[in-house]
Amino acid sequence: MKNLKENVFSLIVKLLTGISLLLLAFIVIFIFKESLVFFKEVSIFKFVSGRTWNPLGSPDKLSILPIILGTIYVSLIGILIALPIGVGSAVVLSSYTNQKVKRVARSVIDILAGIPSVVYGFVGLLVLVKFFEVKFSFASGESVLAGGVLLSIMMLPFIISTCDESMEKVYRDYSQYSSALGVSKSYMIRKIILPQSRKSILASIVLALGRGMGETMAVMMVIGNAPIMPKLLKKCQTIPSLIALEMGMAEVGSLHYHALFASGFVLIIILLIINTILYFIKKNIDI
Amino acid sequence: MDVSEKVKDYIFKIWIVLSTLAVVTVVVFILGYIFKNGSKAINMEFIFDNPKGMPIGSEGGVFPAIVGSLFLMAIACIFASILAISTAIYTVFYCKSNKIESFIHLIVQCMAGIPSIVLGLFGYTLLVLYLRLGRSLLSAGITLGIMIFPYIEVRVEKTLREVNKFVVDSSYALGVSTGYMIFKLIIPLCRTDIISAILLAGGFAMGASAPIILTGAVIFAPIPKSLSSPVMALPFHLYILTGEGISLEKAYGTALVLIIILLLINIISVVLNLKGKEYR
Repeated sequence: MKNLKENVFSLIVKLLTGISLLLLAFIVIFIFKESLVFFKEVSIFKFVSGRTWNPLGSPDKLSILPIILGTIYVSLIGILIALPIGVGSAVVLSSYTNQKVKRVARSVIDILAGIPSVVYGFVGLLVLVKFFEVKFSFASGESVLAGGVLLSIMMLPFIISTCDESMEKVYRDYSQYSSALGVSKSYMIRKIILPQSRKSILASIVLALGRGMGETMAVMMVIGNAPIMPKLLKKCQTIPSLIALEMGMAEVGSLHYHALFASGFVLIIILLIINTILYFIKKNIDI
Repeated sequence: MDVSEKVKDYIFKIWIVLSTLAVVTVVVFILGYIFKNGSKAINMEFIFDNPKGMPIGSEGGVFPAIVGSLFLMAIACIFASILAISTAIYTVFYCKSNKIESFIHLIVQCMAGIPSIVLGLFGYTLLVLYLRLGRSLLSAGITLGIMIFPYIEVRVEKTLREVNKFVVDSSYALGVSTGYMIFKLIIPLCRTDIISAILLAGGFAMGASAPIILTGAVIFAPIPKSLSSPVMALPFHLYILTGEGISLEKAYGTALVLIIILLLINIISVVLNLKGKEYR
């Protein structure tokens, strides 16, 4: 009797684990299956290299090169801004604060991470976009730059927590030796902690890149959503915002509908690659 | 130290101080902005009344959206934690091969990386169209559940691994079966930590709008009576109020209500987490 219970339990655990793992395959296959209809009409190469997105035109007018570039551009701007700030504050958090301050600081960072993206988008639209329009008298504040700045704020918690964790470890390992040698703290951070945290910094970049490219609401609300070649101060479009905006309008089963799945498929492939890279970087960090 | 090192040191210090200041400023600004503007819009009527006016939402309150968001969070949590806790238990206690374990970690990592809008897309075709669940509380809840599954799994697995190795080894030595040990020893020890992890992920689900745009959130619906009715949700409501330019004041209020609920969830989760540490 006891054995039976035991077996049933382990069977249920295994079954549920199997289901969870299959979910990923299921999602990828399902999205792929829905985009296949589209790829039969338009070759995948043409889809990712063409420059026009016009759902009302002929099938070959559906292509997403500017949108892919927009997705990457906005994320890169975000990382460019967030990385120095994030790493700098991770240094302070890991090496210049006592336990109490650390605990408070970490929960503040958790709060930053927990603010919903639609709230970021809301604040971005009312503050950032308006700021660009008023102060720099842009024709429209909705731009790649606005999206990048907003994304950088959303990336900060990921960068800080990834870097802080390994920096603290390195700091604990070396602080006694270096203070015994009379080396100043800042010198030690520059010569030991930062170089030793290389991999974590790299991991945080990849993580932030993945987050940024998949971000929907916040980016969608501030970039203007025009499927043109992205320029820093002009409107652009990203894959997630394209899907979120147009899916509701696309007739189920139409080519437009399948094209949106196709762009979702492109995005999912890019992100699976990024996350696999991230997994191997993380595995190499020996903490 | 020569001069150039001194200059470098100086620049380094300026850099880290400025970046810390930048982070603090951003946090204070965003929260301050929402609280300052939102507090004017919030009163009893706003919290406990239905949205009214023409266009809908320009007057009245957000009560159905608050309830809807809580329902969505509950369904997402139930769906995700069943799968996540099982996966964590399997990985920690049943999985004997390192390769399978690494594989599971890779899958979970990749699932965490799937953009929420793609999950929305998935939920829309599979749950709403193929399984004919319609745009409903259930479809949206399950989609959110898929989204938070990896977060719960990672945290629960970490908690299970932190259980004193001594407890596990002694119970094996006494010939206690794995299942019995998990129910009578491990789960009671980790209960508060697991609940804390689920709550944190639940807060994340509650704030997400991309997965529910296509799967169940609507501009107006009464408090859902069954799993198959469409719902209102705070983040989606905020998006509509801003995107359609319906009412800025109500948008500020909605944002503040959402932030306050999330902060409360966050605080409860942190307190539980600290409590969990005491018992170990």
